[in-house]
Amino acid sequence: MIGHQLALVKREIWEHRSIYVTPIAIAVIVSLISLAGMVTVSAFDKEVHMALFSASNIAGDTERQAALTVFFLGTSWVFLLALVILTTFYALDCLYAERKDKSILFWRSLPVTDAETVVSKLLTAVIVLPLVTVAAIVVTHLVNLLITTAWVMLKGGNAAHLIWSSVPLFDNWAAALIVTIASAVWMSPLIGWFLFVSAFTKRAPLLMAFMPLIIIPIMEWIFFRSKIFASAVFSRGEMIPLFREMDIGHFFDEERMVVNEEIVSLLSHIDIGRFLFSPSVWAGIVVCGLFTTAAIYVRRYRDES
Amino acid sequence: MTSLVTARGVSKRYGKVCAVDNVSFDIEKGRIMGLIGPNGAGKTTLLKALLGLTDCEGDLSVLGLDPFRQRKELMQNICFIADVAVLPRWIRVSQLLDFVESTHPNFSREKAEILLGDTKVNARRDSRVRELSKGMVTQLHLAIIAAIDARLLVLDEPTLGLDIIFRKEFYANLLSDYFDQERTILVTTHQVEEIENILTDIMFINEGRIILDASMDSLSADYVELLTSGDRADEARRIGPIAERDIFGKKVMLFENPDRERLGALGELHTPSVADLFVAKVKGAAA
Repeated sequence: MIGHQLALVKREIWEHRSIYVTPIAIAVIVSLISLAGMVTVSAFDKEVHMALFSASNIAGDTERQAALTVFFLGTSWVFLLALVILTTFYALDCLYAERKDKSILFWRSLPVTDAETVVSKLLTAVIVLPLVTVAAIVVTHLVNLLITTAWVMLKGGNAAHLIWSSVPLFDNWAAALIVTIASAVWMSPLIGWFLFVSAFTKRAPLLMAFMPLIIIPIMEWIFFRSKIFASAVFSRGEMIPLFREMDIGHFFDEERMVVNEEIVSLLSHIDIGRFLFSPSVWAGIVVCGLFTTAAIYVRRYRDES
Repeated sequence: MTSLVTARGVSKRYGKVCAVDNVSFDIEKGRIMGLIGPNGAGKTTLLKALLGLTDCEGDLSVLGLDPFRQRKELMQNICFIADVAVLPRWIRVSQLLDFVESTHPNFSREKAEILLGDTKVNARRDSRVRELSKGMVTQLHLAIIAAIDARLLVLDEPTLGLDIIFRKEFYANLLSDYFDQERTILVTTHQVEEIENILTDIMFINEGRIILDASMDSLSADYVELLTSGDRADEARRIGPIAERDIFGKKVMLFENPDRERLGALGELHTPSVADLFVAKVKGAAA
């Protein structure tokens, strides 16, 4: 069973090369942009020395951590945006392409059940894609820190002190992992819906997936004057129950004139308990399960003649 | 002999159309059964039912299993080639072998490697299927199938779209690499003449019904073709041929359960070809 899943997930990565090509491409682009940024900034020699001086002497450890975390967040959001697009296209294609090129007849000639196959595609979308994304974020982060180290050293700064003693590697990476996986689980009802459309539609999976998401809220408004569907689907993107209530006033300690230490830690904003005990997380998982089951049934019972 | 496949009153309807209409037959171990029928006769539907790809009415048992409900168990002991086009076009040869190896318990990687070693595919391990010629794809598919220790092999138009040399090679390889007394083959094709010499049994299907189910050995005993002309043709016609056609001014008549002595006196006797017998049977069923 597990051996099958590994082979099936591997097959998904072979077939959908964009799963790893896209993050690698983004990693290269992000690194090149930050390199270009440093080269540009280098033209302002005096300001650079001022900045390095104040970073070393005036700023405290917390400020340096804050700056490096902001730098990390600045390079990471592109990957998350790409992940959303990748997951959408992957989930809509994975059960549609095999029918279009008729390779489904070959896959079904092997002793693998439809449930195993569809589950492998769900796991690829909800677990593998986020993991590849996190790996790309981590590698990009390291590469960018190395580039920055080289640049700081070139400008006569103390990179060991400025960067490596301050950078919260574990905090940043653990937060990236948790946020990415949790977001995929949070959005899993939509992924399940995409898988179902992919298994079901005869043409244009993208259109078939998004049309009901637009038409149903309009119909609901016309006939019932309510927005239940729209708020359930569209506000899902904004209200993931993963973070602690943020107190903006807390961000800056005015008496000590420094940034609050715990605010700098990304992990300190994350509340896994809240996520795990949130009814809407579990409701989403149930909806995802229902759509996945429907996709399995469609693949099993449809007669491809 | 043990029956590998048993069908009793099997039917499959699509809406009002009855693609397979109350058919019953057996396929026994170690046989090569040809399923012959015109387009739309229900061949593919019947195969799909046997492979568990579609549900059907009636009692159908393949290797003692219910194909639709026990498809996974069934697929460990069945192989099928639906058409050469079904190998995924994006996959690399080496990836395909890896995948089948890790999902099929009865697949022998060594055997597949040996079989591929003799083909042009051998030097193309890193090529994608879409980069191979149609003939190479067929060789690859057949090598994979032959390396699976399966009890039943189902071939649906396996040589469609291949040129004559590859078609001959395909069936030669099939016999040498795949077939033995423990294995059974069920094959459908349009090109009857290419496979009639390898078949042990034959089944004709037309409009969802089986119109002939016989062993090849019994065909030569049960059917005879008479080449005759003139008055003797009139006399032969009174005996009641199931089909008659003209050839170079002579008459060729096909008889079922013939009285050979009586017919022998009227002209030359031949064993009919499967293609001629098929045409006669289909026309007879339509009349």
